[in-house]
Amino acid sequence: MNYDLELDKVSKYVKEKEAKLVCIQLPDGLKQYSKSIVDELEEKTNSKVIIWLGECFGACDIPLGLDQMKIDLLVQWGHNLFHKAEWSKLGDGLE
Amino acid sequence: MKVLTIDASYNKEVNLNDELFNYLKQNNYKKIVLFASVQFVNHLDSVKTQFKTFDNNIKIITIKPSRTHKEGQLLGCDLYENNLNLNNEWNEIDCFLYIGDGLFHPKALLFAQKEKDKNEFKEILMFDPIANKLSSLKHEDNEKVMKRLKGNLMKLLASDTIGFIATIKPGQSFLYLEKKLKEKYPNKKIYVFLTDNITENILEPYTFIDVWVNSACPRLGFDDAEHMRVSMINIVDALRAEEVLTKLDF
Repeated sequence: MNYDLELDKVSKYVKEKEAKLVCIQLPDGLKQYSKSIVDELEEKTNSKVIIWLGECFGACDIPLGLDQMKIDLLVQWGHNLFHKAEWSKLGDGLE
Repeated sequence: MKVLTIDASYNKEVNLNDELFNYLKQNNYKKIVLFASVQFVNHLDSVKTQFKTFDNNIKIITIKPSRTHKEGQLLGCDLYENNLNLNNEWNEIDCFLYIGDGLFHPKALLFAQKEKDKNEFKEILMFDPIANKLSSLKHEDNEKVMKRLKGNLMKLLASDTIGFIATIKPGQSFLYLEKKLKEKYPNKKIYVFLTDNITENILEPYTFIDVWVNSACPRLGFDDAEHMRVSMINIVDALRAEEVLTKLDF
């Protein structure tokens, strides 16, 4: 495993936020680790951890409708904070 | 709902190799813009230190593109020149160096140069620390994608009916840009489509659309569009179609 999944940090965050239902979202290259992530997080916290089955193209790609499913926390791996471009910054020379 | 993002940082050392240093020397590259994917961005200080040891005269520049969170980080969607925030330094730099694996991110630097001719183009060197391998992207690597873009832009200008696509993804959602498209093409009929994910299959039933204009992920209008049976152009290029056409040197 070449990448640090920071599961201790995630467990701590889940407990701090008292998240009971956690959804994890992984890009294709990390999906193979979803089992070990769920197993470890459920063991270290009292939370139920479910896996987002769909795509994870980037931090722009947060699944919608999770609030309706009573998800308390979404954890997405492989990306960091995304700063949505304003229109003036979308392309070259446009106003 | 709270959201936590985890970088999944590369947890081994990044060691540049002689192949890279020799290549820089052979090509007399002295001013280099350094980028990495989020997995490798925390290693850029180490990379800079290695450059100082190799040749203190090489100038390494790091910048923060529009959508990224960390300096030196590159996203696949920062593929228009002004997204890179290089400002007036373009003519001063010799090449880009990307640290990471895969082609997805460095191809953004290729597409960002679509309007550069061979003389203006800056080579994109890619050093993969996992495979300990150097490769590069050159002006000619843009050819297939840009020929398709050229064809799609010509089709747009000749079209009667446009399908404008917006998505509801939080990082995209540019529905309001349809107004700009209408201002630009007042004599074309524009149908507006909204979705949460775009694949070619969902577009195929709408055979009355001549050309699709995309306001979601901008990669759809480049490397994805190359393989589509339908014609798709990013909104940014659609709004300045004539100008882009005059600059595409392919």
